[in-house]
Amino acid sequence: MNAHKDMAMPFEASSDRRGRQKLDRETVNTLVVFGLSIVLIVCSRFISPALGSWSQVLTVLILASFLIILSFGQGLVILIGGLDLSIPALITLGGVLTTTWIGTGDAGVWYMLPAILVVCAMVGAVSGIGIVWLKVPPFIMTMATSIVVASVALGYTSGTPRGGSPSSLLWLMKSWFLGVPVVIYFTLAFILFGWLLQNFTALGRRLRALGTNRNAALIAGVGVNRLELVPYAISAACAGFVGMMLVGYSNGATLRMGDSYMLPSIAAVVIGGSSILGGSGTFIGTVGGAILLTTLGTVISAIGLSEGWRTIIEGAIIVGALLVLRGEFLTHVGNRMLTRGK
Amino acid sequence: MSTDETRLAVRIAKIAKSYGPTVALDSVSIDLRPGEVHALLGENGAGKSTLVKILSGVVKPDSGSMSILGSPYRPHGIVDARTQGVATAFQELSLLPNLSIAENLMLPKMPRGMLGLASHRTAMASAGRILMDYGLAHFDPDTPVGVLSLSDRQRLEIVRAFTHAAKLLILDEPTAALADVEWLFELVRRQKSLQTAILYISHRLGEVRTLCSRATILRNGRSIGTVELSGASDANIFEMMVGRSAREIINTPPSAGGVAPVALGVKGLSGGILNDVSFNVRQGEIVGIAALEGQGQRDLFRTLIGLTKTNGGTVEIDGVRAQIASPGAALRFGNGLAYLPEDRKSEGILAGLTTASNMVLPIISRVARGGIVWPAGERRAAHETAAVVDLQQRYLHFKIDELSGGNQQKALLARVIMTGARTLLLFDPTRGVDVGTKQSIYEAIRKFAADGGSVLFYSSELPELVHLAHRCIVLYGGRIFAEYQGDAIDEQTIVGALIGHARGAKTEVAA
Amino acid sequence: MSAVTANPARRRSPFWRAVISDTGIVALIYVLLYALYAFWQPDALSLYTFTDLVNNSTPLALAAAGETLVVISRGFDLSVAGVVSLTNVLMAVYPLDGPGGALASLLMCCAIGAFVGMINGILVARLGLQTIAATLGTMIICQGLALVILDAPGGMVADFVTYTLTDTLFGVVPIAGLFLVAAVVLWLAFRRTNTGIGLYAIGADEQSARFSGVAVSGVRITAFVGAGILYGVAGFMLSAQTATGNPTAGTPFLMLTFAAVALGGTPLGGGRGSLVGSILGAGTLMLLQKVLFSGGVSSFYTGIFQGVVLVLAIVFGNTVARLLKKDEAR
Repeated sequence: MNAHKDMAMPFEASSDRRGRQKLDRETVNTLVVFGLSIVLIVCSRFISPALGSWSQVLTVLILASFLIILSFGQGLVILIGGLDLSIPALITLGGVLTTTWIGTGDAGVWYMLPAILVVCAMVGAVSGIGIVWLKVPPFIMTMATSIVVASVALGYTSGTPRGGSPSSLLWLMKSWFLGVPVVIYFTLAFILFGWLLQNFTALGRRLRALGTNRNAALIAGVGVNRLELVPYAISAACAGFVGMMLVGYSNGATLRMGDSYMLPSIAAVVIGGSSILGGSGTFIGTVGGAILLTTLGTVISAIGLSEGWRTIIEGAIIVGALLVLRGEFLTHVGNRMLTRGK
Repeated sequence: MSTDETRLAVRIAKIAKSYGPTVALDSVSIDLRPGEVHALLGENGAGKSTLVKILSGVVKPDSGSMSILGSPYRPHGIVDARTQGVATAFQELSLLPNLSIAENLMLPKMPRGMLGLASHRTAMASAGRILMDYGLAHFDPDTPVGVLSLSDRQRLEIVRAFTHAAKLLILDEPTAALADVEWLFELVRRQKSLQTAILYISHRLGEVRTLCSRATILRNGRSIGTVELSGASDANIFEMMVGRSAREIINTPPSAGGVAPVALGVKGLSGGILNDVSFNVRQGEIVGIAALEGQGQRDLFRTLIGLTKTNGGTVEIDGVRAQIASPGAALRFGNGLAYLPEDRKSEGILAGLTTASNMVLPIISRVARGGIVWPAGERRAAHETAAVVDLQQRYLHFKIDELSGGNQQKALLARVIMTGARTLLLFDPTRGVDVGTKQSIYEAIRKFAADGGSVLFYSSELPELVHLAHRCIVLYGGRIFAEYQGDAIDEQTIVGALIGHARGAKTEVAA
Repeated sequence: MSAVTANPARRRSPFWRAVISDTGIVALIYVLLYALYAFWQPDALSLYTFTDLVNNSTPLALAAAGETLVVISRGFDLSVAGVVSLTNVLMAVYPLDGPGGALASLLMCCAIGAFVGMINGILVARLGLQTIAATLGTMIICQGLALVILDAPGGMVADFVTYTLTDTLFGVVPIAGLFLVAAVVLWLAFRRTNTGIGLYAIGADEQSARFSGVAVSGVRITAFVGAGILYGVAGFMLSAQTATGNPTAGTPFLMLTFAAVALGGTPLGGGRGSLVGSILGAGTLMLLQKVLFSGGVSSFYTGIFQGVVLVLAIVFGNTVARLLKKDEAR
């Protein structure tokens, strides 16, 4: 035992203790999630020989890239203890604006794409304003934004979005480089960026402080009110960007293009080990969650399960992940594996 | 050891309780005789509240045994404890503000009327009887509790406990917010004559001596011993509570130069219950605030830092009029104003983040290199100040919630020092920490002032004010009641002023 | 002494308190709105229009009533959308005709709601999940089940249910309204039970409620089960309305129930409010929709209306709660 001999006897009954080399919950969870993804890919060969091949893995990764980018935004919102239910509407908004404002060809794409992202971010900021200043609970405010945006998109397109994909987005989604789709390089860069932003920047640190304890963060001098808008704006911009990617992927926009991403975006974050109460989580874990979910989705499709069953499985995964991650279940398991006995 | 166990009202033997790795109670044994008022003494964090929860049936002990009048007492819930004649007036008050006085008194079971539904009329009548019985006949049982003043709510909490306590009554800091202490003393004496054992928890030794015959002292989750109060001096008791002699922490404060420029000037400040308060804190000066619970000290600090709205008055920092809207703005204003909050758990630490991250949070953008905050960089930044508050380097990469309360407090003090602010507002900076940590905290505060910084602090412990403050301001009812300087600061004088008697010091207001 | 003993609270007159209370304001709004509607559409005062309005409002009113139970206990229940969809689909896929069939269907809807509520309650009260997270999970699972049972809109609800429940009793009383009356009567009785008082207690302060002896998890589970049953009945009534099944029938309820609850004067922070207010709130929302869209605004824009009303309702609820609080605390 490493009794802290040099330490003055603490007054409080609780002493400073740190279980030897405690693996924290986030690390254990990330390892488990990535491990499960790999196992699932390998096992999927037994279901169908087409699954588990290299090209199949690449397809899964392309599909996962949408979810990875979305769940970065959702993850930041959950990090501060909120919930973003407006993601599908903003995917649609990003997609519809891309096809109608830019359309096929590439005219003005260099300023139009950023402009569309700014529009989306502003919509997200509006949700944030409602949450911070009007004190509307996050899930209700984002739900309200969502329905307003969806109606605007519906009205704006009169029900059927026109136009096709700018060629630069087609290039991003369809071209290959050194035997790997370009979008995968892009996603890797995004993962690096997101991981650094969430865990190693002043902004990320402040967001985590805000999610851990708003009051304490405020007293420590963090400008919590304005800060709270940021994740909603980022999440909306991410959703808008995924809308663009989907335009490139399927060469067009539809009004329901975002619908199937709402639950997975939450599920990926929760499975990735973030606490739904806020204040903890890493983006790497979320990435693992996104890959696991996408793999699972592919396997479900291969088996031929209907949309309903797929939804049920997603719901069960969310509840299961919440239950498993409640308390320090994984930490206990992890530590027990490291240190046997007392 | 009692020879005849049945003559004991309550026997608590070797109770222990841990929360995960944290040992809240190690081994506590107390015997209470019927009709005895028994004091439970101990510093914050000694385990008093855990013991109260165990006796009340809220928490189950890990080991040990309890018995009442010789038969085993193992409550499985607060209602079960009540039916066995044990009831508690909780320190944090367990009343529901949205329910009426009558409903609060009757919870969890309302008297039934027609169709088995709760009968409003019967509830009112029986609540009225109870209130009458305990001298609160002027309360209307139909009033929602949220309307009552804190003092009245405390009385209601006490009355509710009395109505259920046939064998053991636990009063946890019952006078913390009570305006009329005699009312309680009268009730306690009456209950005593009914052979109810009463466990009385208070940090006011005078009160304890008036009411109680014996006292048990808790320290570090252990019962250190039970003493006859008539045969124990305050110093004896204090020594048992803190584990060493009280004299050790006595230091004479350096006298302050009275001509240094004013760092913090407050004029006519009002906000919350704070009413027209004016004072100055000069550079290099340590000013202490003394007050009983709820006299406006909280509002004073929170107003200065922008957490409570100001209702009038001005604040000047280094001679510049300041309108502070938030703690962040306070840090950035002029030479800065940094606040160490009262409750380390809910307002101080960020659990889950490392100690170093906690310390550098206010200056995180300065710590970043190329936009990136490296953990090693954080530790490097925290390194120097950690030494100032005597916090060991190796704790810097621990998660802060893995540290003891004392070390957490050191880290939080380091945080406010690290911000570079030249004026510190410290709210009860040594609450619930051990003597060694107290010394380190005092040292750090003195060093800060000696380097020209200014400190305004509130303390719930008088010796601390006496030993640390150059000047001491007594708040009473939201106003400045008295002000003492240098040698005029002594415990007896302040005690008088605290309760609104300017005994011995005829409102000696220093400049 | 004067510092701690606050001045005797200045309380407003009983009349003013009744007006500003939980249900007073929303009742006032409803009446004013109805007057406005009658001004524009003279036939608004006809029995037919009124019955129609009650029929339209009943499903939402029942769902909002259920949500209120959970909100008072300081929680959010998203499973409303799932339960309404699931019961609606079941009604359409397995129609049971005749009075006996209707009764069996109603019981089935209640049982499904109660079961989902029980799961929510256990997840929250016993397993310690956050209410939003737990009910989000059950909502998703219920929606999945609804899709499994019926993967696209279709099916037929039993004729007896469709005709009888949208009819009037003795030609004057809308039958759907009787369900609302029953809900209100049960609520008024429940309010006067130990569990009912406990519901307000845990909503205000769970710790204090526990220390006062309230069986916190029991009360919480009861709230969720009661809410689930009301969602089940809401699904039943919705099926009577639409006469067909739709696996996403419940989705609009998610947003509208919260709007109705907030509009009805129940603050989303818990510990306060009334089921009656929420029912009136739901009625107001449906009436507002009718008033605004009687002019024939493009249905594209109903979403904008709903989103804005949702936010306004909550801001309004917050403001009323603040006013009430100011009135009570000193």
